[in-house]
Amino acid sequence: MTDPNRRQIISLRDVQKHYGSYHALRGITMDIAEGEFFSLLGPSGCGKTTLLRTIAGFEDVSSGHVLLDGRDMEGVPANKRPTNMVFQSYAIFPHLSVAQNVGFGLRKRSDLDKSAKSALIAEALGMVGLDGYGDRSAQALSGGQRQRVALARALILKPKVLLLDEPLSALDKKLREQMQTELRRLQRHVGITFILVTHDQEEALIMSDRIAVMFEGQIAQLASPQELYRRPVTQQVANFIGVMNFLPVEISMGQGGSIDLDIAGLGRTTIDSAQCPGAIRPGLGQAGLRPETMTLLVDGEDADGHLAEGQVEELAYYGDMTYYDVLLDGATVPVTISMKNLTGRQVLDRGARARVAWDPRALVVFAE
Amino acid sequence: MKGRGLLIYAVLYLIFLYAPIILLPLFAFNSSTIIAFPLEGFTFDWFVQLREVEALHDAVRNSLFIAVLTAVFSTILGICAARASTRYVFPAKAGIMGMIMLPLVLPEIIVAVSLLVVVVQILDFPLSAWTVIAAHTLICTPFCIAVLNSSFQNLDASLEEAAIDLGETRFSTFRLVTLPLVMPGVIASLLISFTISLDEFIIAFFLTGSEPTLPVYIWSLLRFPRMQPIIMALGTILVVLSIVLLIVAEYARRRGVAKAGKADTGGFL
Repeated sequence: MTDPNRRQIISLRDVQKHYGSYHALRGITMDIAEGEFFSLLGPSGCGKTTLLRTIAGFEDVSSGHVLLDGRDMEGVPANKRPTNMVFQSYAIFPHLSVAQNVGFGLRKRSDLDKSAKSALIAEALGMVGLDGYGDRSAQALSGGQRQRVALARALILKPKVLLLDEPLSALDKKLREQMQTELRRLQRHVGITFILVTHDQEEALIMSDRIAVMFEGQIAQLASPQELYRRPVTQQVANFIGVMNFLPVEISMGQGGSIDLDIAGLGRTTIDSAQCPGAIRPGLGQAGLRPETMTLLVDGEDADGHLAEGQVEELAYYGDMTYYDVLLDGATVPVTISMKNLTGRQVLDRGARARVAWDPRALVVFAE
Repeated sequence: MKGRGLLIYAVLYLIFLYAPIILLPLFAFNSSTIIAFPLEGFTFDWFVQLREVEALHDAVRNSLFIAVLTAVFSTILGICAARASTRYVFPAKAGIMGMIMLPLVLPEIIVAVSLLVVVVQILDFPLSAWTVIAAHTLICTPFCIAVLNSSFQNLDASLEEAAIDLGETRFSTFRLVTLPLVMPGVIASLLISFTISLDEFIIAFFLTGSEPTLPVYIWSLLRFPRMQPIIMALGTILVVLSIVLLIVAEYARRRGVAKAGKADTGGFL
């Protein structure tokens, strides 16, 4: 998973946080490497922002340890930690100019004279693509520009870790997508560890080296985007990252580590035990398949391997894609299948009979 | 017609409200010593005479001293209370804030009498400008809190966190970020408490020592009919002064709302 040669910049050891009777963080243990783009992903209220604020020093831990660059942060206030934060609201000081905002953190740097500070400010503004904006009032900026000022203001101090609290949630879709790539590029350029808090799974997948998926104050899975998407360890994670179809399955143990399955609507097949992330045992379970791993065959098309039949119950045409809800014969709930609308490919009608090609290697099986 | 009826009502209401105040300058510039119609002639005499009454000058000085200190004290207390009520959660917060705001609706005569009892009978303090300042601070603080609350509510809490995150201490954050952003509210609070203290009569009447405040002095003048046009002139000056101060206060508040980039939710005035 992580390169063992890389230095761990953040180490969390059984971090717990209580707010009165509310248990916000339930024993978080993880390491984040130097130079990593790391995301904390989860629904609202899962504790991801609390965890970020704990690292920043805005919240105390109830128990456990936060180590930054090997140093225990207990009793170290936020203004003495080698972290800087980009706030969800950006928190741009409205009474100061852009340059004053960006240079705010340099105020205490008595080793720098005025011209050295201006040079740093100009450099930071250039890094986020705001050359020449220094004299503008912070209030005259657009949402995207505020975001950039907040980034420059935090990065000018060359923190060991940059913390980003849902930094893109206030932007519209187009600008958000643009900033996603830009943030990623900026991170590679400065080489600083970024920790991003987001509830947007797509954003986390696009930007991160590794993602920690959090539910109810605990880490459900910590993995690379590909691993997370292909091999979610629980149904909850599978549901949160993208779309996954679940079909009831009867599990029995085969020979030599293989597992025999009888899946409702898809029939019998054998898979490798590595495709079962949790503890596997004979009995009932759920078989998960991503919508894009199945193919809806049109007239005249044929496929090797596994075929199933069903009926198109509903479809949604997106232009580049069509999403079908297909009720497989022998199943009780429809599965979603996404098909690219390639040139000449026919879009099936509602009610049409459908043949579905699928691949057992794409299965993820959870025991019940 | 329904609209016309409401219009007449509104006009009558405004006349009822402002006619007495308009009479002040009318008689202040009238040359007759008797406050009655018809008016006689135009004169500046009463304003000129104002300059010659020594006791009046003492009263003005006394009032200004009390009003300035009251404004400063009640605004400082107001800043502390408004910040606490908008930033922190603490036990019995609603109850405590309610009790602090209560003097807004408490009859002043009750406050005045009970303070007199406390100061003279229990504490055995001599009555002076300082007892008036203490009492005025008590009644002005709720107004200051009301004004400052909206300033602090409009202040995004993450602005203060951002400053701390960038290396500032709590104190320097307050100086560099919090105070500049709530400054228009602070100015409004200073002006409003100054105005309230300046024209407050009941408490000043009870608690003032040998040196009366301006309203108490004016009240004592009413026994001398000869002095009445002078009071009218003085009243005119005070009305103009009050209006100017309140306009400045409201301007400061609106500028503050605009500065914080928030929609105006209606202010104190």
